[in-house]
Amino acid sequence: MNKNYIILTILMLVLAVGTLFLTMKHEPKQIDPQELLQEIIQPTRYVSTDQVAKMIIQGDPSLMLVDVRSIYEYEEYTLPGAINVPLEELLVNDNLLYFGIPGKKVIFVSNDDIQADQMWVLTKRLGYGSTYVMKGGINCWMQTIIDPQRPAETAAATDFETYSFRKGAQMYFTGAGSEDAGSGQVNVQVQRRQKSNVAAGGC
Amino acid sequence: MHIHELNPWRTLIALSAFIVILIIGFLTMPKPLISYEKTISESVNALVESDAYFYPWELEQVIAKETDTIVLFDLRNNFIFGQGHIPGAENLSASTLSREENIERMKELRDMGVTVVLYGDTQLDANGPSMLFRQVGFNNVKVLLGGYQYYLQHKDDLYSTVDDDGYMKGVARFDYAEMAAPKDGATLSNDQDAQPVQVQRRQKSNVAAGGC
Repeated sequence: MNKNYIILTILMLVLAVGTLFLTMKHEPKQIDPQELLQEIIQPTRYVSTDQVAKMIIQGDPSLMLVDVRSIYEYEEYTLPGAINVPLEELLVNDNLLYFGIPGKKVIFVSNDDIQADQMWVLTKRLGYGSTYVMKGGINCWMQTIIDPQRPAETAAATDFETYSFRKGAQMYFTGAGSEDAGSGQVNVQVQRRQKSNVAAGGC
Repeated sequence: MHIHELNPWRTLIALSAFIVILIIGFLTMPKPLISYEKTISESVNALVESDAYFYPWELEQVIAKETDTIVLFDLRNNFIFGQGHIPGAENLSASTLSREENIERMKELRDMGVTVVLYGDTQLDANGPSMLFRQVGFNNVKVLLGGYQYYLQHKDDLYSTVDDDGYMKGVARFDYAEMAAPKDGATLSNDQDAQPVQVQRRQKSNVAAGGC
């Protein structure tokens, strides 16, 4: 056998064995940090409590609510139809299988929106799309859907439309709220300091 | 006879040149500006680190210029920044974060041991960028609790916010179960056991071969 061919074969074998050592890390597939930064600065991931309420009421099959709080908080109270994937247990068991289902919109929910946003960043790093964060969290859900605030008389007409939608949603979720008086009554101007513009949509 | 058998030295020279070019190519490959220093599971565990948060009363020392180891960055856009910002803060709009000069500046500040505090209109606005920076190795980055909104409400007496918890996030502000308990006439019943949650999981196996 020719010496050159032996040398070439040995070299190729060495290179081949070298590539074996490159793939030892078991990190799940992720997107580049630059790409993740670009995704993070988009505000398109936020959905309002009104939008989520509408999806639940309409029975939207693409909705997938994920409660990222602890299991105790989840069992105490959660949004209808929500599953529980605690933030610390993202990589535990098969929790990652809840994401990446084609056609599903995953909406993360927590008490406020910080933990849900953190979950969003982590799942985005892992490359999962179609994920959203409910802005304001369950605290906002209580103030807008479960116990909506009536807008001031001087508010815009759209605020009243939002309010009537929310009253309907309140009826759907809790059955309460039919005590609103009809027109013809004199409304007393009650001045309340508005901490946040809850009536107009946000929290 | 094959040329390689006639002149073995030429083969060796060609082969060495090839390998040297490969090595030079690998060494001179442009390195990415930022890369992950924490794995995903490390990032999950790092979320409970309390040194990632900056309290509103700590702003006093920055405003009074009593320290030069803390730098404030305002993530809002330039126009809003011009309308009002925390004294001493620099504008670093979120949309310009990925620019090379800004990343280089962050690296310099990290090497100098300076604490970088990010703030937006709310804590939520600064959450994402600070998470990313901590994951790519900038452990000196913190988030201002309460954001600019909370600062604006309390700027006349920041030290008194020590006793306030209005800036804390993640706390249930209401008794959810009691508040949302269904009264008569609710479409949804509270009986979670009667209506099991429809759980969907992604199919692990690849069904491509057989077709469905």
